[in-house]
Amino acid sequence: MEYRDYYQTLGVKRTASADEIKKVYRRLARKYHPDVSKEPNAEAKFKEVQEAYEVLRDSEKRTAYDQLGNEMKSGQDFRPPPDWASGFEFRGRPRGRANPDADAQFSDFFSSLFGGGGGFSQAGEGRARGGRDHHARVDIDLEEAFRGGARTLELRRPQQQPDGSVELSTHAVKVTIPAGVTDGQQLRLAGQGEPGQGNGRAGDLYLEVHIRPHDLYQLEGRDVTVTLPLAPWEAVLGASVTVPTLGGPVQMRIPEKSRAGQKLRLRGRGLPGDPPGDEYLQLSIALPPADSPKARAFYEQMSRELPFDPRAHLGS
Amino acid sequence: MTTVKRTIETQVLAEGEWLSVTQVCRASQIDVEVVIELAELGLVCPRGNAPQDWQVSARELARLRTAARLIRDLGVNVSGAALAVELLEARRELETRLRALESCVQAGG
Repeated sequence: MEYRDYYQTLGVKRTASADEIKKVYRRLARKYHPDVSKEPNAEAKFKEVQEAYEVLRDSEKRTAYDQLGNEMKSGQDFRPPPDWASGFEFRGRPRGRANPDADAQFSDFFSSLFGGGGGFSQAGEGRARGGRDHHARVDIDLEEAFRGGARTLELRRPQQQPDGSVELSTHAVKVTIPAGVTDGQQLRLAGQGEPGQGNGRAGDLYLEVHIRPHDLYQLEGRDVTVTLPLAPWEAVLGASVTVPTLGGPVQMRIPEKSRAGQKLRLRGRGLPGDPPGDEYLQLSIALPPADSPKARAFYEQMSRELPFDPRAHLGS
Repeated sequence: MTTVKRTIETQVLAEGEWLSVTQVCRASQIDVEVVIELAELGLVCPRGNAPQDWQVSARELARLRTAARLIRDLGVNVSGAALAVELLEARRELETRLRALESCVQAGG
């Protein structure tokens, strides 16, 4: 596994005081917090910062970490020394306030030194303890939200072995995504969170559904909106046009004298549900290019024969 | 460290329109007092009379989890977290609208 230089992660000297480390952590946490940050890779950066702080904030862990010496560089191959951490008591200590969310995952490097990453702690001998709930995010396409479907998720969780070492096990969980699921909806998979200890019950797994932005459709709740460009004559005279819907293209009547910015509704053509969502068509008027002498002549004829002042409402 | 792989087949048991306050506290790793405070601030609207009987809409779980993370990770207080959650939601909505407008402009509207 790869060595991690926690001082470098936080950008502090090895001699930095606890107070200094706390200040730097707060600043970096604010900068990279995945809920607020717009930085690229915010989530990964935030986890690195949290992991570094988890070690350096705790004088015991920090002392133990410092004993590894300062010769190594981040990314260098690393094995914990055989007498690692003898005399320290941090293994199995309950999680502190700054510990990560249950689904945060610390690195193999961290786990090998300090036991399981986030979401893992040792329970007393034979004591029943309920498992924690886990959370994961599923990104799906709008088409998948419309049709529903099955998804296999790979979830990694630390698991303690009888000899006290920690193994990461990968569980593949097959999830059925119901048709008509909306953005931000929570799906609960009972008993698929952290296993309970002793006779404790297993935690639940919550999945938060995120629907990826779509090129064509804007989603709001169960309603979708599509921008529908019309030729000027289609808008003025009315027309029958083919429009896309999530269920496939449909033929639709555009009323005469339609204007740009108007919205037409196709009832029940949004995401399924009770009631199902609607599809809105936001009309826009596309100008035909005047790329031939004949087309240009048309425009010239219009300018002569149509008394039209598009700026009448601005006053003279 | 080895990796064990096994497959569990599972179904979504419930979309869980409403969750008990106990479930919500466990799922968002938040104390019931914080949920009460966030309800007083209007960030969540539980149904039921006494807090121990409250039910919270599953949709609001995401808000509670975000608030819990901000409190825990950034050291903000409960009012600050509620404000931040609302502003983040407002920002997301504006971004969605902006995307819609941009796609409308691109389509020649």
